[in-house]
Amino acid sequence: MKTLLKNGRILDPSQDLDIIGHLVIEDTQVSEFGAEVDQTDIDEVYDCTGMWITPGLVDPHVHLREPGQQHKETIASGTQAAAAGGFTTIACMPNTEPALDNPALIDFILDKAASPEAGGVFVAPVGALTVDMAGERLTDLSALKRAGIVAASDEGYPLQNSAMMQQAMEFCVQLDLPIMSHCEDLSLTKGASMNDGAVSAMLGLKGMPRSAEEIMVMRNCLLSLHTNCQLHVMRVSTWGAVEMIRQAKYLGAPVTCEICPMHFTFTDEAIGEFQTHYKITPPLRTQLDIDIILQGLNDGTIDCISSDHSPHASHEVEVPFEDAPFGHSGLESTVGVTLTMLTHRGILTPLETIRKLSTKPAQILRLEAGTLKPGETPVAQVTVIDPECQWTFDRHKTFSKSKNSPFHAMALKGKAMLTFCGGEIYRDAMFPDARYTINE
Amino acid sequence: MARNLLGIRHLTQDDIQELLSLSADFKLRILEKREVPNMSDQVVGMLFFENSTRTRVSFEQAAHYLKMKSANFSSGGSSMAKGETFSDTITTLRYERLNGLVIRHRASGSAALAARYFGGPVLNAGDGQHEHPTQALGDALTIIERKGELKGLQVSIVGDVEHSRVARSNAWLLSKMGAEVRFVGPRTLMPAHMQMLPGEVHYDLRSGIDGADVIICLRLQKERMADGMLSSITEYASMYQVNRESLRWANRDCIVMHPGPINRGVEVDDVAADGERSVINSQIENGIFVRMASLYWVFTSKAKSPDSPPPKLRVAKTVPAQPKTVARTAAKAKKAVAGSKKK
Repeated sequence: MKTLLKNGRILDPSQDLDIIGHLVIEDTQVSEFGAEVDQTDIDEVYDCTGMWITPGLVDPHVHLREPGQQHKETIASGTQAAAAGGFTTIACMPNTEPALDNPALIDFILDKAASPEAGGVFVAPVGALTVDMAGERLTDLSALKRAGIVAASDEGYPLQNSAMMQQAMEFCVQLDLPIMSHCEDLSLTKGASMNDGAVSAMLGLKGMPRSAEEIMVMRNCLLSLHTNCQLHVMRVSTWGAVEMIRQAKYLGAPVTCEICPMHFTFTDEAIGEFQTHYKITPPLRTQLDIDIILQGLNDGTIDCISSDHSPHASHEVEVPFEDAPFGHSGLESTVGVTLTMLTHRGILTPLETIRKLSTKPAQILRLEAGTLKPGETPVAQVTVIDPECQWTFDRHKTFSKSKNSPFHAMALKGKAMLTFCGGEIYRDAMFPDARYTINE
Repeated sequence: MARNLLGIRHLTQDDIQELLSLSADFKLRILEKREVPNMSDQVVGMLFFENSTRTRVSFEQAAHYLKMKSANFSSGGSSMAKGETFSDTITTLRYERLNGLVIRHRASGSAALAARYFGGPVLNAGDGQHEHPTQALGDALTIIERKGELKGLQVSIVGDVEHSRVARSNAWLLSKMGAEVRFVGPRTLMPAHMQMLPGEVHYDLRSGIDGADVIICLRLQKERMADGMLSSITEYASMYQVNRESLRWANRDCIVMHPGPINRGVEVDDVAADGERSVINSQIENGIFVRMASLYWVFTSKAKSPDSPPPKLRVAKTVPAQPKTVARTAAKAKKAVAGSKKK
C-alpha cells in the first residue's frame, strides 16, 4: 500500500527543509519525500497543492481528564480531538482523579490510548511529581519512568516548597526526566481569578499579580541552573517571565518554555462582562505582555506552542466567574489560531511555526516525533495543513466532549486537513473529495 | 423586552437622571399619601444568597408600596443548599413565572449571569465586590436633597475601596453626573491599578477629604485584619477615621454618609455618625424610594437597555406551543358547535 501526498510545501524543521515536493507513505512508514519521488505503484493520491506537508504536530500540554473526570473528557474523545487538530503525539497531564502517581495508572492511560476507540495518536503521559499532587512526598519516579512517563509535573498544584523542588530536580537529573512546571506562588493568588490590573479593579474580582508567576519562574529557573535539571515552564503569560527565561537560557540553565494561544490572542479586557471562557491560569494579561511574548516567539525564547487543552463541562463553566474552573479546550483551534495570529502576521515563518508546533516539543520531551525522516518515528506521522483555508471555529462542532472555548465564532485562516499516524486518522470535511483519488 | 439594572457602569446619564427623577417623584407621592403606580400584576423574586438586612427590607418595602408581590428566597432555604447549580436555580425561578428578580450574591458578576438565564428584569442588590447600584442611587438622591445637584461636587469615598461594591457604584454614578470623585484609603485596601475606575486616588486622609462636599465612609470588614491587610483597628482608625478632628479638613457644610452597618469608632466616630452633618438615616429612607423607582423602571421599559447583556434563552418557548393541527381542529369544532346552535 503506497500513499502519495502530491505537490505540497514540505516543511520539516528537523532538517530545516522547506521545499515544494511530494511525500510517499509506504505501509506505515514515510518511505521517500522530495521534489522528485518514485511514483510507480501508487495506491492513493492526495493532491496537496497549496498545502503544507509537515511532521505530525506534537502537543506538550493536554488534559485528557481520564481517569476520574470522564464528564469533561475521555482518552477516546481527547485523542480524537487531537487527531482533528492535526496532532499525532500529545503529552497528557497528571491532574486526574486519582493523580497519575503510580505505574498502574500509566499502563491504564497507554492501554486506553492504544484501544481502537481512541483517535489513533500517540499519548505520552506526564507523571505526578508528588503523591496525589499534594506536594508532600515525591512519587516513585523511576517506576513511573519505566512505565512510560516522559516528564514529571505537579500541574495545577505547583510545588511551593523549594527544598522539595530541589530534591525533585536532583531525582529527575538522575532519571533524565524533564520537569514541567506551572509557575505560581499560591500565597499570592489565594481566591484570585484573573490578572491583577485595571480590569480586575473595575470588575471587583481579586487579581493574580504578575509577581506570583514571576517569582516561581525565577525560583525554578535558579534551581534548574544549579541542579542542571531540565525544566519546561508551562504557559508563560507575563513579559517578566519571558525576560527571566531569556536570562536563564543565557546563563546556561537547561530551561525551555511554552505558550498557549490564548495568551498571545487576548488581554484581560476580553473578559468583558464576566465571560468565564476567558478564565485561565496564569491569567490573560495586557497588551504589553502580548508584545513581549510575540518578540519571545520570534526570537526563540519561547520554544513551543501548546494547546493547553483543559476541557470542562458546561455546567462547571456556566457559573459566577470566581467559581469557574481555569482553562479552555483548545486542541482543535490551536493550528487555526496560531496561523492566524502568528504566521499570517509575520511573527513566525511557516518553518518556525511548525518547529514550535512539532519538532521542538518533541525534542523537549525526547519523543520519537516531530520529523519526517524515514525510520526516526515508530510510524509515519504526517500532518497536512491548508494555510489559506478560511473557516469559523464552532465550539459545538468539535470532537472534544467539552465546549468551553473562547475562540468560538472567531474567523480563522489555516486548518489541519489531513492527519496521518501510521495510516490516515483524520480527514477534514473541508478537504475537497476531488483532491483524493484511488488508483485502481 | 426586559431591562436590567446590573450596575451603574452600564447606565447612561439619561438613565440615571430618569431613575433619580422617578425616585424623587415617588418620595413626594408617598409622603403626601398620594397614589403611586399599582404594579400588583407583577411578582418579584428576592433572591438573597448573602445576608442582608437593610437592602432586603428596603426592597420589600418598595415592592409593598408598589403593591407588588414578593417571593423570598435565601440560599440556606433554597435548593442551592441541596447542590443545585446557580444557573439551574435561576432557570427554575424563570419557569416559576416570576416577573422580576432581585439578586444578591457573594460573587462579582453573578447578577449579569442571572440576567443571562432569567430572561426578565434582573436587579442587582449587590454582587460581590462589583456593584450595588440601588445603594448608589439612594446616596445620590440624598446628596441632591442636601446639595441641590451632583454636578461640580467634591466627593470623597473613604475606606476599603478594594472590597467595596458601594465605592464602585457610587464612583460611577457620581462621576457620570459630573461630580469629582476621590478614592481615599490605605494602599493595602486600594486596588493597585485604578485607571479604569473614575476617580483620583489618595492614600492620605487629609489630602483626600480636603475641601470635600460629601464624604462617603465605607465599612471596614474585620476579616481584613486576618488577611494581613491591616495591622490593627487602632492603626486604621488613627489614620482614616472620619471624626470631629478630620472633618475640619472638609468643607464647612460637608455631609457624612455611610452605607451601613456602621463600625462605630472604626471608620467614623459618634460626632460624624450622629452629628448634624450625618445624613445616614436619610440614606436608609431614600433607599426605599430609589428601589421603587428601580423596580418601576425595569418593568416599564419598552426598549432594552443597550448595554445590558442580551438575555440568552436556553429554551425557545416558555409554554410548548399547541400543535397547529390540533388548534385548527379545535377551532373547527367550536365553529361547528356555534353553527349547530344557530340552527
